[in-house]
Amino acid sequence: MRIYFLIAVVCGMLLASASPVSAHHAFAAEFDANKPIKLQGAVTKVEWINPHAWIHIDVKKPDGKIEKWMIEGGTPNTLFRRGFSKTSLLPGTIIVVEGYQSKDGSLRANGRDLTFPDGRKLFMGSSGTGAPRDGRDPTEPKQ
Amino acid sequence: MSTLGRLAGIALFCLTASPPASSGASFRAPRTADGRPDLTGIWQALGTAYWDLEGHAAQAGAVVALGAAGAVPGGLGVVQGGEIPYQPWAAAKKKENAKNWLTADPEIKCFLPGVPRATYMPFPFQIVQNPKHILLSYEFASATRIVYMDKPDFESPVDTWMGHSRGHWEGETLVIDVNSFNDQTWFDRAGNFHSDALHVVERYTAISPDALRYEATVEDAKVFTRPWKISLPLYRRLDEHMQLLEFKCLEFVEELMYGHLRRNPNK
Amino acid sequence: MSYRFPTFAMGWALAAVMTLTGPVYGQTPKPVAKTKGAGQQQAVALTPWGKPDLRGIWDFATITPMERPSELAGKEVLSEQEATEFERQTLERRNPDRRDGGAEADVGRAYNQFWWDYGTKVIASKRTSLVIDPPNGKAPPLTPNGKKRAEARAEIMRRPAAGPEDRNLAERCILGFNAGPPMAPGAYNNNVQLFQTPDSVIILNEMVNDARFVPLDGRPHLPPNIRQWRGDSRGHWEGNTLVVDTTNFRDETNFRGASRNLHVIERFTRADSETLLYEFTIDDPATWTAPWKAAFPMRRTAGPIYEYACHEGNYGMFNILAGARAQDKEGR
Repeated sequence: MRIYFLIAVVCGMLLASASPVSAHHAFAAEFDANKPIKLQGAVTKVEWINPHAWIHIDVKKPDGKIEKWMIEGGTPNTLFRRGFSKTSLLPGTIIVVEGYQSKDGSLRANGRDLTFPDGRKLFMGSSGTGAPRDGRDPTEPKQ
Repeated sequence: MSTLGRLAGIALFCLTASPPASSGASFRAPRTADGRPDLTGIWQALGTAYWDLEGHAAQAGAVVALGAAGAVPGGLGVVQGGEIPYQPWAAAKKKENAKNWLTADPEIKCFLPGVPRATYMPFPFQIVQNPKHILLSYEFASATRIVYMDKPDFESPVDTWMGHSRGHWEGETLVIDVNSFNDQTWFDRAGNFHSDALHVVERYTAISPDALRYEATVEDAKVFTRPWKISLPLYRRLDEHMQLLEFKCLEFVEELMYGHLRRNPNK
Repeated sequence: MSYRFPTFAMGWALAAVMTLTGPVYGQTPKPVAKTKGAGQQQAVALTPWGKPDLRGIWDFATITPMERPSELAGKEVLSEQEATEFERQTLERRNPDRRDGGAEADVGRAYNQFWWDYGTKVIASKRTSLVIDPPNGKAPPLTPNGKKRAEARAEIMRRPAAGPEDRNLAERCILGFNAGPPMAPGAYNNNVQLFQTPDSVIILNEMVNDARFVPLDGRPHLPPNIRQWRGDSRGHWEGNTLVVDTTNFRDETNFRGASRNLHVIERFTRADSETLLYEFTIDDPATWTAPWKAAFPMRRTAGPIYEYACHEGNYGMFNILAGARAQDKEGR
């Protein structure tokens, strides 16, 4: 009985109120759910900017042509507080991007999932360079 | 009184007279609770450094319809030695910037002004002093800078518009070392610019109850042949109940920047 | 305003966005607080001029929602076990690295977990909402006029944008989505740094680098014809609590649907060396049928606060408008 109540509590709080989701900018307005993409390419530049970081990659097509894509991420400030910096993703690094292409058809996509070719996600844990460990990163080992 | 007594009296007087530590400064600002010169307040530059750091005569503006309201007033110049020492390629770039001012100057798009430009914009700014942090809050574009007073080894993880500021006191002078700039800002509306190698050292010194002397040494090995320096006064805004007002300004440039993407572009 | 996501994505998105943290001590924070759980009484640290020291960087991330879910009507507080379970399930359910739920949900999740910072804990009191008054944990009903305005705004946000003014203030980079006033936990960068002098407090929110000046010298508010996006704040001390009164908002500020007549009263009380209690009262009879209050603690953090040059990097606005024009062309 307790379990069912717990589930109800959890579900209740998750299907929470009528408060506006105006907080975060609606990616649905920018990117097209009907245009999923999966790309692999070399980083050429990272714009560590707000409100969203942008990772520029060169994607080599089967015909040898290079397509220059811009991939949107989140705010870099949360990464900086975990010890990452502008040297944490250098040009030349190969990354895999899954996401959705922009509605206007330009070579932009949201970085729905950013990984290295071996499947490891980018920017996991802290960089180990003295990032503040306040227990809020669930992926960090507990001290 | 004995000679010894007189000597003791003179010694006591000399020890307590606390002469100013910095050279030439004869004004001693009131102190904050933690014993530092108190520069807290709202300040503003006069003059036309924001148009052109170098000395210049008055000249016509870029927008004919604005008439005299858009013209550039003359300025005595704030650069020590008169001229900014550009490398040859950079001197040409500066001329090109000046020609393309309306489309190239980041100020027009209400972008953050950078340092030292933020100091002499024609808008007030506020200094708020706490022992470990000094806040510089600018009316223009709500730009802010946090100056870390107790973290000389704190490096910024990223290049920013307003740079990364670390400060310390030298007697009566607040010295702020600023680095980690991006290359996006200009120094004025005359096209004076820098690279991401910019390094600025600012000095703020009270010279009277309602004025500061502001100096900034600018170095950038990619752009200039040597470091150069500006100097100008900053005046306390004495208006009753003075406060900064909002000048977010980006709402004034949305038409300029995004107007072509409107469903029904304004004519 | 609200989006019409599919329910699942809505639940996820709301959970992802609405965060709250920290203990709430009953209805009103006590001026001299005891450290919760430590069993020790701590004197409030004072500035050299004898006022409670509010200076520092504070983090207000939490996963407790602003309003109590209807399913929990009457349940004010979770037990220890329920709270732990809730946290675990929330983090699992809202983890943006999940790839189930279809393309619409996937786009809405935006990007990987490592970019987000909405917190991992409920507020320490385990209260089921940040709203403390009305007692049911929900904001009061909207007035008819408030409802009309909310629906109109929601409709505009749903449609492809005709121009930048159709988008909300956070997307335009005018105000941060968690800065207010009043402050309310959001998806990331829930950081604020307070500066204090004998006659003022400055509230610096990370988003969007906004330094809110709060003079304590008793001067009047700005005249009514001067309206600002973030209003105009005045402060005074009531015992150990800093009270900040904000008026002079613009119509477009629209905190959760508020009108230009919004009146915000914030209360800041230093509870202990690590905790700043924050409470806000919303008074806007044009929008809500009664005033309402919410409260949550802020936790001291090393930060630091980084630059948030939003307008300078706002590719998103170009993309949103270009996307809307593409939709227009395709007749969508």
